[in-house]
Amino acid sequence: MNVPKSTQLLGMPVGLSLVVLCSLAQSPAPTTSAGGGGPSSGATDPGVQIASRGTGGSIITTDPGGYQAFFLDGQKRFQAVESVSHSPTGNNGLGPRFNSNSCVSCHAQPAVGGSGPAVNPQFPFTNNGVAPGDRTPFFITANGPTREARFPFFFDQFGGVNTSAPNGGVEDLFTVTGRPDAGTCRLQQPDFFQAQQANNLIFRIPTPIFGAGLIENLDDSTLLSNQAALENNSFGIDGSFNHNGNDGTITRFGWKAQNKSLHIFTGEAYNVEMGISNMLFPQDRPSPEEEQARGLPASCLNLTGTGYPEDASNPTSTPNAAVLDDVSAFANFMRFLAPPPPGPVVLNGQPVSAQSIANGKQIFSSIGCATCHVQSPGTTQVSNMVPALSKAPVNAFSDLEIHHMGAGLADNVSQGGAGGDQFRTAPLWGLGQRIFLLHDGHTTNLMQAIQEHGSQGSEANQVENNFDNLQTSQQQDLLNFLRSL
Amino acid sequence: MNFRYSVCLLLVSCRLSLPAQGQGTPKGGSDSSPGVVAKVPSGVILVKGAWSSASDSVTPLPERGVVDHGVFRDPYFGIRYALPPDWTEKYRGPPPSENGRYVLAELAPADTFKGAVRGSVLITAQDMFFSLTPTNNAVELINYMKNHLQSDYTTETPPKQLKIADRSFAFFSYWSPAAELHWYVLATDIRCHVVQIVLTSRDMKLLDSLLVDLNKMKLPAEASPTGGTGGGAVPVCIQDYAQAENMIARAEPVFTDRKFNPVPVRIIIGKDGKVKHVHFISAFPDQTKAISDALARWKFKPYRRDGQGLEVETGLQFGRPNARDPANDERRGSPPRN
Repeated sequence: MNVPKSTQLLGMPVGLSLVVLCSLAQSPAPTTSAGGGGPSSGATDPGVQIASRGTGGSIITTDPGGYQAFFLDGQKRFQAVESVSHSPTGNNGLGPRFNSNSCVSCHAQPAVGGSGPAVNPQFPFTNNGVAPGDRTPFFITANGPTREARFPFFFDQFGGVNTSAPNGGVEDLFTVTGRPDAGTCRLQQPDFFQAQQANNLIFRIPTPIFGAGLIENLDDSTLLSNQAALENNSFGIDGSFNHNGNDGTITRFGWKAQNKSLHIFTGEAYNVEMGISNMLFPQDRPSPEEEQARGLPASCLNLTGTGYPEDASNPTSTPNAAVLDDVSAFANFMRFLAPPPPGPVVLNGQPVSAQSIANGKQIFSSIGCATCHVQSPGTTQVSNMVPALSKAPVNAFSDLEIHHMGAGLADNVSQGGAGGDQFRTAPLWGLGQRIFLLHDGHTTNLMQAIQEHGSQGSEANQVENNFDNLQTSQQQDLLNFLRSL
Repeated sequence: MNFRYSVCLLLVSCRLSLPAQGQGTPKGGSDSSPGVVAKVPSGVILVKGAWSSASDSVTPLPERGVVDHGVFRDPYFGIRYALPPDWTEKYRGPPPSENGRYVLAELAPADTFKGAVRGSVLITAQDMFFSLTPTNNAVELINYMKNHLQSDYTTETPPKQLKIADRSFAFFSYWSPAAELHWYVLATDIRCHVVQIVLTSRDMKLLDSLLVDLNKMKLPAEASPTGGTGGGAVPVCIQDYAQAENMIARAEPVFTDRKFNPVPVRIIIGKDGKVKHVHFISAFPDQTKAISDALARWKFKPYRRDGQGLEVETGLQFGRPNARDPANDERRGSPPRN
């Protein structure tokens, strides 16, 4: 879109605010939803912790440069609901293919900037006018994870999977077909059923972006030092980094650490997830199959009628923050979004002792989890923006390396230098209030997520074995610790 | 989004269990059934990143050890280890790392194991040509581990030498008071690798028993910690052999696509000075091709010892330089090992 948001959006759009409220009200019994441990364990995942921990605020404490205004402006734009064209608020550019119509719809739990909410905002799209010409994909359910889908391989002309033709691009779930603001554009959804039948369908869920500015502000030398310090471990773990193909520096955002900066990360997401062209990704995005053929049909181009990119800077707007394009505003919001604070844990209605959480932290480290999920890979470089991003520890519980997670978790999608079974060590800060786990959100149970770290070819097999060798009370302490994050 | 859409969104979102349109058997439209199609096999990693490969499938490689009929065999290292009864390798480990780290075997009681005490045996190897750790051999590596033990652990046995299966091992042990797990770490030098055996359990009696059992291992002769005689199947391994004084011809590979990852390679140089075998420890396919093309043009001065021509095994680093900190590299300036 090309209209300054800060002068037009006076608050969270009515529809979205209600959706968020509904989502919170309907969280499926979070403290008890996760169920018991694995087959050999009596330990219980305490589940999603619902007591507010104050997540979602700004990291800025002192602000000599005036960046707080940028944070607030970005936060507001992050919650805007996009239309294809003719929006009275000027929020145009959606589609022609998209997964959702607002950043916050997927990044909502437990606060703006988080991961997928308990009530899936994608589920009603085919009934509420967002995607009236589409069918709800079978894997999108009312209380299931917010998802994007990918086909690891292209299909051949006979409908078979061509495993020598890797695809891996996002197959957007919805189209603008049938919307009154989308003109004559008519597109078909990808054939998800065919893909499922061919075992050629994988999912990803939104990564939370709390504390992302700290991660962005880690120098490569810090990450490399951490890698060297932890290499000689007793667990058989030795990860690597994903690299920018242009300059060779370490990339760090996304499930496979495929993006270097928050600008790139959000610019790609705006284009891929919402279909909005911007100054980093200036064209409307076709599906991977359309890109292999002739691209988008002419009837689906320039649906806003304003030209490209649909999101651009706004030179004549005031105040300063309004001049920025959406992508820059989003990046600022993410950059200044504080890391999620840890908090107390409730298990089966009873508070967990601080001693249990402290024990769990030690056990977590001792059995090898912290070889990858290192509490902090180091401290940030000096920030030219705000003091809070300078020389600060990054307690993300991630080395930001990519590791082989084995055939069990492999999705056969390559991004940058990461292969089909390699994933970035998922930062664990905020885990206590995260609902859906692992890259595809297929479980809400921490115990299951831990056990699925072990599979053919995984670097985590030995650590998972150590976990299995713990006593039930020790496993419980570890789970309690994780839900305190 | 206009207000009409907002209301719809609200109403639908607040329903607890609305049946999903489009779920179940799809009807027409874009979700139509495709009929019989080829399926992507499950549990197989088809799209690989940097991976290991070799110029032939015959020459033994470190990562090709297998557990078969209760016995772990690794022909490259000459290891043969009979697992305890009811133990198995449930999962294979990851591929070799870009720093030359191998997981050779991960052994533990099978799911059918009825005993009360569980533990594990992890066998790894570190190619010392590519290690990030500033150490040269097993003794130094064990000392380094002990000196850099994290605060979660307490040393139980300081580093010392043990004789296992007629071979010298560096040994130390530690434990975690919080996890109540004990680790016995053994390390020995084979073919310019440090082979580590890590025993883990909460029961030290089990660890002691496993330690005794290790004496039944078959290992290569003690007399050749850095290789064999240079004849037959086991060449001499020499650090930094690919130096100007040993080279007659050399061509550099040109990476056209991927170029920022470390690409560790081990080569065997034949008695005629030509590259006889290439082991790409971690490389993308296009890098493998470029390096193969280049190495085909390399020629070394034949290595001779006591008047006899010998095969040499050495390491080459392509792509991104090894990230080892030069300031801590005690190996620099030291003479080649042979």
